[in-house]
Amino acid sequence: MKKQNIGAILLAAVFIIAGSVIAGSGRATNGEIPAPPAIGTAIEDFMLPDVDGKDHALNSLKGKNGTVLIFIAVQCPVSNAYNERMEKLAQDFKPRGINVIGINANSTEDAAVVKAHATQKHLTFPILKDPGNKIADRLGATRTPEAYFLDANNKLLYHGRIDNSKDPAGVNASELREALDAALASKPIGKTTATAFGCSIKRA
Amino acid sequence: MRLLRALFLVPIALGLLLTSFAAPAQTQKRRAAKPSSAVRASLPAVTQIDTDALKALLKRESQRPLLVNFWATWCDPCRDEFPDLVKIDQQYGHARLDFAAISLDDLKDIKTEVPKFLQQMNATMPAYLLNVPDPEPAITAVDPKWQGDLPATFLYNGKGEVVYKHFGRLNANELRAAIEKLVGSTQ
Repeated sequence: MKKQNIGAILLAAVFIIAGSVIAGSGRATNGEIPAPPAIGTAIEDFMLPDVDGKDHALNSLKGKNGTVLIFIAVQCPVSNAYNERMEKLAQDFKPRGINVIGINANSTEDAAVVKAHATQKHLTFPILKDPGNKIADRLGATRTPEAYFLDANNKLLYHGRIDNSKDPAGVNASELREALDAALASKPIGKTTATAFGCSIKRA
Repeated sequence: MRLLRALFLVPIALGLLLTSFAAPAQTQKRRAAKPSSAVRASLPAVTQIDTDALKALLKRESQRPLLVNFWATWCDPCRDEFPDLVKIDQQYGHARLDFAAISLDDLKDIKTEVPKFLQQMNATMPAYLLNVPDPEPAITAVDPKWQGDLPATFLYNGKGEVVYKHFGRLNANELRAAIEKLVGSTQ
């Protein structure tokens, strides 16, 4: 009788775990992801842990002239194709007062993996983990890489791709860079949104 | 002396015996290799398309519903969901449902990685590879609200209207229900 009870408990546990796994994977749809904020919307300050578990507020990491948030991934070949370009962007614009912050919202990639990947790929800009993809949900982020450029007051100026081509040789439109240059020159941003193919964010 | 000769002959005899067993095995291996090379020769065709061709593909001329899946060999959830898509294609058949699998792989993979994966999946639906210098017009043509995240699945009715869409790994039962609603309404 006791054995039967244990068996029943184990079976119930298996069903509960399987159910939660199925429910978790079923949430990975755009239907449940809020639309991204409209251009011009002020993004509320948020707090996320870095790859060592230390919490940082957006306002403590932002640049004096603006901030670029980029949702990135460890395993996505599209995101990885942009590693050098993202690092160069960070290096080029840090002296001009715009800071780049990477955000990893993939539930499949833990902080240790993200840290090792950043070291291996020589990514020197801060990378934050987004547990439960709360900030990805707040910003309506769906893929990697996906960029948000905020001005000094965290107002959204540009949202979308870094440029038009995964292959650096095919780049002929660098909307993100152009947006940064325009903002620094106090000129209107020509294109405030642009899309490209990318890996879906693996939501929790 | 006889003993010495016997000791000398035993390994030779054993060697010959082993060779006689091994030979058919090698022949079998060679025979087994033939069908796989024949299969390699008949990799599924993947057609290169641009944005205009994609738009033409989405414009429904037949009254049949159209299922479109955007995927890539480098996209894990795309690979994971593909067996479900193959089953759905086989289940509803080309007479009731048109299907287009559109790969976002690099053009260099059009005759290698892409058809190899389709072959592994036993996929027989029409397969395309979207090759565009700028992906945005193609993404917007499919759905202005789509951000380009893969995989993405769209179901069009006979009039060319999107009646179901799903971003991320699909839910096969949900998709089947959407297809059956359409297939039922066209019968």
